[in-house]
Amino acid sequence: MASEKALDCLRRRLCDSSFVYSAFKSTPAGNYSKLKFLISNTITEACNNSVLLLGPRGCGKGAVVDMILEELKDEFPEIISVVRLNGLLHSDDNFAVKEIARQLCMEHKLLFSKMASSDDNSQFMIDMLRECGLAHKMIIFVLEEFDLFTQGKQRLLYSLLDAMQTLTSQSVVIGISCRLDADQLLEKRVRSRFSHRKLLFTPLSTEDMQRLLEHLLYLPKNLSLPSKYVKEFNSNVNNILGDKKFKEILDVLSSVDNTISNICRFLYHAISWMHFESGLLTLDGFKNALSCMQRQPMLDKLQGASILEFYILVCMNRLGSREQNSFNFNSIMKEYKAIQDAYKTSDNYSWSVCLRAFEHLIERELISFLDNRMRSLSIEYRPVRLLLSSQELHQGLKSNSFCPAILLKLLNHESYR
Amino acid sequence: MKSKRSLLEPEKTPSKRSSVAPATPNPSETRKKRRNAKKRSYYKKLAYDGGVFEVGDDVYVKRRDDAESDEDDPEAEECRICFEIGSSIMIECDDCLGGFHLRCLKPPLRKVPEGDWICEFCKARKLGKKVKLPRPSDGKKLRRTAREKLLSSDLWAARIESLWKEPDGTYWLKCRWYVIPEETTAGRQPHNLRRELYLTNHFSDIEMESVVRHCYVMNPREFAEANNEGDDVFYCEYEYDVRWHSFKRLAEVADTDNDEEAGNDEDWKYSNDSDCDSEDDSDFDDDIVGKFSCHDTPTHELAANSRRGRIFGLHKIGLKKIPEHVRLHKPTDLERAKSMLLLTALPKTLPCRTKEMEEITLFIKGAICEDHCLGRCLYIHGVPGTGKTMTVLTVLKNLRTEVDAGKMRPYCFVEVNGLKLSSPENIYRVIYEALSGHRVGWKKALNILNELFSEGTKIGKEENRPCVLLIDELDLLLTRNQSVLYNIFDWPTKPDSKLIVIGIANTMDLPEKFLPRISSRMGIQRLCFGPYNYQQLQEIIESRLKGIDAFEEQAIEFASRKVAAMSGDARRALEICRRAAEAADYRLKQLAKSSKSNLRQSLPQGKHLVGMNDIEAAVHDVFQAPHIQIMKTSSRLSKIMLAAMVHELYRSGLCEVTFEKLATIIRSLCSSNRELQPGWDDLLKVGCKLGECRIILSEEGAKHRLQRMQLNFPSDDVAFALKACPEIPWLSKYL
Repeated sequence: MASEKALDCLRRRLCDSSFVYSAFKSTPAGNYSKLKFLISNTITEACNNSVLLLGPRGCGKGAVVDMILEELKDEFPEIISVVRLNGLLHSDDNFAVKEIARQLCMEHKLLFSKMASSDDNSQFMIDMLRECGLAHKMIIFVLEEFDLFTQGKQRLLYSLLDAMQTLTSQSVVIGISCRLDADQLLEKRVRSRFSHRKLLFTPLSTEDMQRLLEHLLYLPKNLSLPSKYVKEFNSNVNNILGDKKFKEILDVLSSVDNTISNICRFLYHAISWMHFESGLLTLDGFKNALSCMQRQPMLDKLQGASILEFYILVCMNRLGSREQNSFNFNSIMKEYKAIQDAYKTSDNYSWSVCLRAFEHLIERELISFLDNRMRSLSIEYRPVRLLLSSQELHQGLKSNSFCPAILLKLLNHESYR
Repeated sequence: MKSKRSLLEPEKTPSKRSSVAPATPNPSETRKKRRNAKKRSYYKKLAYDGGVFEVGDDVYVKRRDDAESDEDDPEAEECRICFEIGSSIMIECDDCLGGFHLRCLKPPLRKVPEGDWICEFCKARKLGKKVKLPRPSDGKKLRRTAREKLLSSDLWAARIESLWKEPDGTYWLKCRWYVIPEETTAGRQPHNLRRELYLTNHFSDIEMESVVRHCYVMNPREFAEANNEGDDVFYCEYEYDVRWHSFKRLAEVADTDNDEEAGNDEDWKYSNDSDCDSEDDSDFDDDIVGKFSCHDTPTHELAANSRRGRIFGLHKIGLKKIPEHVRLHKPTDLERAKSMLLLTALPKTLPCRTKEMEEITLFIKGAICEDHCLGRCLYIHGVPGTGKTMTVLTVLKNLRTEVDAGKMRPYCFVEVNGLKLSSPENIYRVIYEALSGHRVGWKKALNILNELFSEGTKIGKEENRPCVLLIDELDLLLTRNQSVLYNIFDWPTKPDSKLIVIGIANTMDLPEKFLPRISSRMGIQRLCFGPYNYQQLQEIIESRLKGIDAFEEQAIEFASRKVAAMSGDARRALEICRRAAEAADYRLKQLAKSSKSNLRQSLPQGKHLVGMNDIEAAVHDVFQAPHIQIMKTSSRLSKIMLAAMVHELYRSGLCEVTFEKLATIIRSLCSSNRELQPGWDDLLKVGCKLGECRIILSEEGAKHRLQRMQLNFPSDDVAFALKACPEIPWLSKYL
């Protein structure tokens, strides 16, 4: 019972981004306190600001913004209204302005008309900025995937940033982007109006990672769990965190991807392996989780391939290594027939069977067409390419127990060519 | 239809005004009267009952006729202690607003003290003691001034909107009420000043009879400057919406620097034709009433973002309560500096652009003052942030005052921004709307404008004035066949056009990009706004920070030198300074917080100036790309991948590498340095992540081994970032 509850608590925490990122709330040099200071200052001093949050995906840009907005809504009730746009959805200027008008109408309980022209909508936006400024209200624009807003003439960004410096309005424009050169994408008259505040979100350092793990895995005292169990659980976690093997696991994990979201995914896997009788986390669980995280999809795809499919792949590889850049099903079949003639294997299949295997490979994206242009051509004449490197193919062949020995030789040894 | 009053006044309002309003004629009756009557005569100024009342004045209004009447209406206040009026100097308590003779106080004061002063009674009351106020000697009634009566809601205050004489000889006025904080739904707030009033959007017509006399309601700036205006001074910063019970700052209070101009505007309006003006006004009022009455049926409600709905919908926006942080906060030097450095805070004067201003003034004057008023064009270019638009607007503002003084012919002014138009053709519509107030489609607008400018037909009844057309971001109007630009620049060449076009854009050679027939019509008159040099930037910043001691001298110079070297963009210079001030403020507040929580130490006293370090950090923020930081903190494999790319770049000299090749290099690097062999798909993932951040440029990951990759930053940056990496020391071998 207690273990179930503990698992429940841990899982809930891992999925709650605001809890995860609250680990870094207290540091004064952190992005959280800087951004919060910026926004709340903007509110109290009634001015305008614009800021760009940059950093790789999974570093908590959006989560920190959400967290701060939630807190500020409590701190300054009724004052803040938030408009959220996403570059993937609203990169078209007219549509973005319409969406802004819609969200503002929703927020202020006004009636919204879909029929209004984009001029009306942008005028409405300017009017709203002004009126809200007069009423000490603040509009926060959150533009996710900021880089996508910079396509085209950037009318939206221009009118937003221009309104911010000509009107007595109170607004903050927060741009979120994973492109580090996002501010260079702005046109120069837009860039001149942008205030060039940039906050950089970086992946975790080793110490931060340790802190995050402690923050996430230790059970709280005040939960309705038996205190003895909590104590045991926490000391167990402490042991695991101090273990050398665990550190190795963590190193392997973070050597690929050391962002917070990746760590959380890993932990979610790991706690699912919790030992149920004792209700404790185990090192094996973390090991298993690591192997879950380290899937190699290309090799997995090779696992289920049939012998004939391997033959086709090997043929393609041989053709490719002969500097023959473009080949289609027919040239592959020629190579296949040549091999069959030379070695007289038992795997000699008819043309139509081979075509089916070929189509199968295309579906699994182990091979792909060179281009999408010649759609009208039937499959066997369209040029294809191999997406596997020879090392991967070699590894795949080796791990497959049914694979005939001749295939490996064909793949690797010069004399068989 | 219900009567106007009850519709305007929701039932819940606490004020009892609706029931006991001063004799207001039944609105339907007045309307009927208006129709029958030949004419009401409207006045701008009216001498009535010994006082002169003007439109826009504020007056006390009697609550009802039978109110207990203090026969003598004291103009001056009595001393609270000796109850004499006396001519000697009195001082006012900032809490209870009671007046005291300086000599009556214990101990007597010699002169009025600086800052706030609170009387001993209030002081004692605050300490929780019971206070006995001195009572006046027998036989002397305690008289109340009009101010006291108003603040205890026995009198009203109102602003005169219009004055007229009915055909039957009685004088009437339309007034706009003020309310005291107690009469709003929010009640009196702790931050309300004692003399604070709110302007409402509640109008009514009352008879001149009920007006008592003048009072003076002032906006915050006037209020701060006023010192000897007597007892009838009030403070008004907010508007109160009686329908929505919400507060909003008064618009003219908000743009403080436009105060003078706002005044001018009003003069303009009234100088036209006061009669028709007020008629319009009342129509508008009726309109609102009509709108309110149909409010209950939601089908008739207009969408807020549509054109008609905008006027009404935005009434709803407003605060239920004015937040305290706005009023109770006293800005520190740093905060004041920050607010002065805001881009919105337009300076009173424009430093460093006198030459250009003169030139533009000359151009416009030359064009307008000639008898024929030939059309002309001017093209202004310069990099962003050099004050092009602001200079032109300042010039036009200055000219406006000249027009007001009668030194110049009146003209109309239309401002268009190319980037704010949804399509270039819409400019016709915008221009026509600005000139006539009507909205039509752009094709029709084009036709009318063509007629207007080439044949000199008139819009409306009045004579055509010369028109100044300012087009910002001119380059956005460039269409494929350039017909929009052709039309715009063709109009000024017509003999009767009276059109003056000023185009603003960034590029110097824009006219050369136009078709020859356009650039020939555009003429050769151009004006270049060069980028500011560092002295000018310094002057701009210092002019804004005059009187605020927040920046070190060399800090400003450093900032302006940096910006001048990079772009000469004034906006950027201001932003850097603001950013630096913010950083200093942040540091200071963190310090305060930590010292408060830890040691309860008093803050290190002394000046906290914005120094070189802050500026340096801000400059770094603006001009530095963050990629080195990201490279330093990225994962182990991505570091290895970057190093391998640099290695390959040096080895082969080609900047592009396929994923297959790169992966083999990485694996060989790893095996020779006893690293764990990374999987192919892991490498692919890392490559895609780096590509997403644009540290490397790569094709989509679906291409897998054939994906081509390339460094997006110079290899030296990568080498710099990874050379001293403590985790993977062997990387430096390959860089």
